[in-house]
Amino acid sequence: MKQSPEKKARKKAAMAYLVSAPSLVLIFLIVVFPILYTGYISFTNMNTYHWFNFDFIGLSNYGRALLVFDSGFLSALLMTVVWTAVNMALQLMIAFLIANLLNVKHLPLRNVYKTILMFPWAMPGYVSILLWKTGMFNSQFGLLTQWMEDISGLTVRWLQNDVSAFICCTVVNLWLALPFMIMIMDGGLKSIDRSYYESATLDGAGPIRQAIAITLPCLKPIIGPSVMITLFTTFKQFDVIYLMTQQVGSQTGAHIHTIITYAYENAFITNNYGYSSAISIMIFMMLIIFAQVTNRRSKEANA
Amino acid sequence: MRKVLCSLMVCVLFLLTGCSGSTDPQGAKSGPVTITIWHDKEDAVIAVLQEAVQALEPEVTVLFEKKTGMTESLKLVGNDQNAAPDMYFFAHDKIGVYAEMGILTPITELLGEDALAGYVPLTIQGATYQGTIYQVPLYFETLLFMYNKKYMAQEDVPATTEQLYSYMQRKTKYGHYGFVEQHSTPYYAAGWIHGFGGSLITDAGVPCLDSAEVKAALDYHKKFVAYMPGETEYATVNTLFMEGMAHATIAGPWFVPTVRAAGIDVGIAPMPVVDETVLPLAPYSGIQGLHVLKVQTERKKDAIVKVLQVLMQPEVSVKLAKVSGCAPAVESCYTLEEVTADPLIMAMKQTAETAIPMPNIPEMDVMWTVAGDLLTNVNMSGQDIESAAAAAQKKALELIEAMK
Repeated sequence: MKQSPEKKARKKAAMAYLVSAPSLVLIFLIVVFPILYTGYISFTNMNTYHWFNFDFIGLSNYGRALLVFDSGFLSALLMTVVWTAVNMALQLMIAFLIANLLNVKHLPLRNVYKTILMFPWAMPGYVSILLWKTGMFNSQFGLLTQWMEDISGLTVRWLQNDVSAFICCTVVNLWLALPFMIMIMDGGLKSIDRSYYESATLDGAGPIRQAIAITLPCLKPIIGPSVMITLFTTFKQFDVIYLMTQQVGSQTGAHIHTIITYAYENAFITNNYGYSSAISIMIFMMLIIFAQVTNRRSKEANA
Repeated sequence: MRKVLCSLMVCVLFLLTGCSGSTDPQGAKSGPVTITIWHDKEDAVIAVLQEAVQALEPEVTVLFEKKTGMTESLKLVGNDQNAAPDMYFFAHDKIGVYAEMGILTPITELLGEDALAGYVPLTIQGATYQGTIYQVPLYFETLLFMYNKKYMAQEDVPATTEQLYSYMQRKTKYGHYGFVEQHSTPYYAAGWIHGFGGSLITDAGVPCLDSAEVKAALDYHKKFVAYMPGETEYATVNTLFMEGMAHATIAGPWFVPTVRAAGIDVGIAPMPVVDETVLPLAPYSGIQGLHVLKVQTERKKDAIVKVLQVLMQPEVSVKLAKVSGCAPAVESCYTLEEVTADPLIMAMKQTAETAIPMPNIPEMDVMWTVAGDLLTNVNMSGQDIESAAAAAQKKALELIEAMK
């Protein structure tokens, strides 16, 4: 008996869900469930004093969480936006430049360069950050400090003031994030049809004109999702700034806070899981709104 | 199709139920009992304990499990009979948190009121939270004043803080430092605050960061900071001392083997006395010991008591002190020659006369961060002490309020 087209389509859709089911279950357990559970905890008084016998307390934690969103939080939010913008701009420019250099015709030892460039990605972030902190920026033993002393005779405390600490954190973040962006851009560049460039060369377009008129428009849809992922990773950055400047026992005197480090220092250390969960959910909502706005703008730009 | 869907559902259910673990209560069985002890200690320390409890086999087998992130794990599974250990071996400073969570058994319920009578008072003070003892102390550590004998002659070893300051002024030059310490880390700076009669927090959990004593200590301490390097976190301080670039430091006993291995002829001296108050720098002390989980106590009480009794023997304490470089918690050990002949242990015993156990109240969890910020703001950012202390006090009060 022949099946109707609707039945066939339904069967096809069911099969698609079926084969995706294991992944969906995993995503639910690893991603969705923790978010839902955090949301649930945010409505309770779970803390050191009510660890196992916590009660539902409605929106109280959200009321208290609003107190964290004070002037300090607003300046942390502004800092987060600046941090994200600076890092994304630099990442895209540097990755674009390096990816293009890696695609220069007849480049010798191309694979060696690629392996070296991937190296920071292979190292645990925690190790990389602390290596930079002690190996490069330390005021006693850091390589940069010693170079600076040799050149100018001055001992620079790189991480002590806000501006230089921000620059140092940006350098470390770029070191950690560039391999991913370079890899994506390298792949994107390879996927662009060479005939476009040949035609452009025949038409008299130089390398810069070719980059603006061919490379960038062709790369945009390919690297879009990666840029989005990196954007959020940078926005919710914690490790780099905390470990470089704020780790208990090795604070440096700089006061740069992103929203996550600010929330950590003003809520998460209290062991009040209900209260901290409410703040997490509010930051999560902010990220969702940010994602929606960014997506809409991206769609409008592509339309 | 239906079969496939059913199979999938079964798999998911299997996965979900598999996560919950076994529900078989060991206590229901008679015969051999296994006692699990979580710890974060080095192998040599555990080897001593393992050797001691072997006498209980086969009736009681003790399993030592090294855990990273133990404090967080205990919060998650501390009342789960299937996942929680029977005991854990850790410093005393989390006792308040776990006692408030209700996961600890008072030691006196297991061993009686007088079982810990022969212990160094400092250790019992640390093991006690709100009048109840929650830990069997095994050994304790305090920070010590260490100096490099190659650079600091015996007659230069400072008896007072002004002598130390004078030494720093004379010797801090050409890449050398007279004295270095982790000046902006609360655990280390607390010694100075106690030397002025102050404290970071009261026993009742009230922060004292804007007290006159704390401000006086910060003000006085600042002149010493001026003769230390900009960054004074653990790695920098220790490296400076090990490379012979710092003549003296304040560090824990765990640092001594590393220093000796680096070829430094290290001397240990009593903490300098603050000239103004005539009180010595009184560092925090950490008391390492065994804590019993309430969720396991009922069904394994007898075995737990046996294990504790074996590990409380003075000879175990002495062996532990030797391998850990710390001081025994049992007072009677200090009559034994192998203990009295060890200058490191005796220096710690002497410091214990004035040392203060790290506060074990839950409020202390937020104080490490707030006090660290205050020290950094004063010592490294050059903020005014009065306003920095007031801001820190306000923040500490807010965070403590937010804990509840």
